[in-house]
Amino acid sequence: MKINNAPKLTLFHCLNSFEETNSMFDGCTIKTVKMACSSMTKDIHLLKAFESGADAVLVLVCQEKDCRYAEGSIRAKKRVDYVKTILDDIGMDGRRLNIFNTTAKDSGPIKDIIKTTISELETIGPNPALNHFN
Amino acid sequence: MITASQKPINEIIELVEPYKKLLILGCGTCVKTCFAGGEDEVAVLASVLRLSFKKMARPIEIEELTIERQCENEFIQEASPGIARNDAILSLACGAGVQAMAKRFAKEVVLPGLNTTFIGIQESHGVFTEECSGCGDCSLATFGGICPVTRCAKKLLNGPCGGSQKGFCEIDPDTQCAWHLIIERLTTLKQQDNLKTYIPPKNWNTSLSGGPRKLIREDHII
Ligand code: SF4
Ligand code: SF4
Repeated sequence: MKINNAPKLTLFHCLNSFEETNSMFDGCTIKTVKMACSSMTKDIHLLKAFESGADAVLVLVCQEKDCRYAEGSIRAKKRVDYVKTILDDIGMDGRRLNIFNTTAKDSGPIKDIIKTTISELETIGPNPALNHFN
Repeated sequence: MITASQKPINEIIELVEPYKKLLILGCGTCVKTCFAGGEDEVAVLASVLRLSFKKMARPIEIEELTIERQCENEFIQEASPGIARNDAILSLACGAGVQAMAKRFAKEVVLPGLNTTFIGIQESHGVFTEECSGCGDCSLATFGGICPVTRCAKKLLNGPCGGSQKGFCEIDPDTQCAWHLIIERLTTLKQQDNLKTYIPPKNWNTSLSGGPRKLIREDHII
């Protein structure tokens, strides 16, 4: 199903994995949520982002070996995987939630991640929980 | 503590589908510790149900509440106003908690959101193991504090079977052999003599096999 309006993305990121630059978000509406550490990625926050209208949710965290708090990125990945299964179970398509290891110093790959997410949403479709009441 | 895990989400959706106003009621003791029914799990389940019902274009109002313990009347009382506002209660307590709620609120629908599993401990963060079957006649003193009734797959009371392999049970290479542990522990405690005592067949009358049990403390009853 095609998304008529610009897709809505919510991007959770730890301080060291992402820094906003101009033109990064062409083609979508984005809400960014800064976290002191990726270990603050919690299932309820990811789900609430979908409840608030996100078509896709991205979580950007440091490389596992570079996490300043040792296990933050690993914990974040496990929680994202958990929520992906929930989304699949309720027919919301877990592919609309993804986690990536990035670094704030290099915005190139992040731009690509956003572009790919927007184009994948063409296949996945808009947030199906929002069609009826929003 | 009592351990439990959440029912599959689609089973829960089917259970709550007939109701328009739902109270998800958490329990802040055992099932909170095993990440199945505390405030966090109530919030996640509420969010998942809201998303799911919106997707199905079915309106539902969900209220969230977690009380200290659903198995005690004193704490249950706190849930009364929330229960009065809703059509059904989805309880995230163990089976005892669900039944306590049903007993206390005789005219309300109380649904189980969890599958209650066993009496156990948190062995490490996120890992829970079964330790006691509530047999009603505890013999841990004889076995050095390790329960063969629960932890030996064959419930053997007089030593290991031939399937004990390098400290692990033949039923599963990840399960420690209870008898291996008992012998090690009795050796540490210098109580190896316990191993020479013949343990007669267990009297299961004191267990659930003798029918549902009741504990009466006369000294606390007026
Ligand atoms: S209701 Fe069950 S889970 Fe809750 S405190 Fe009582 S025994 Fe523990
Ligand atoms: S002997 Fe009975 S009461 Fe004691 S730990 Fe084992 S099952 Fe529980």
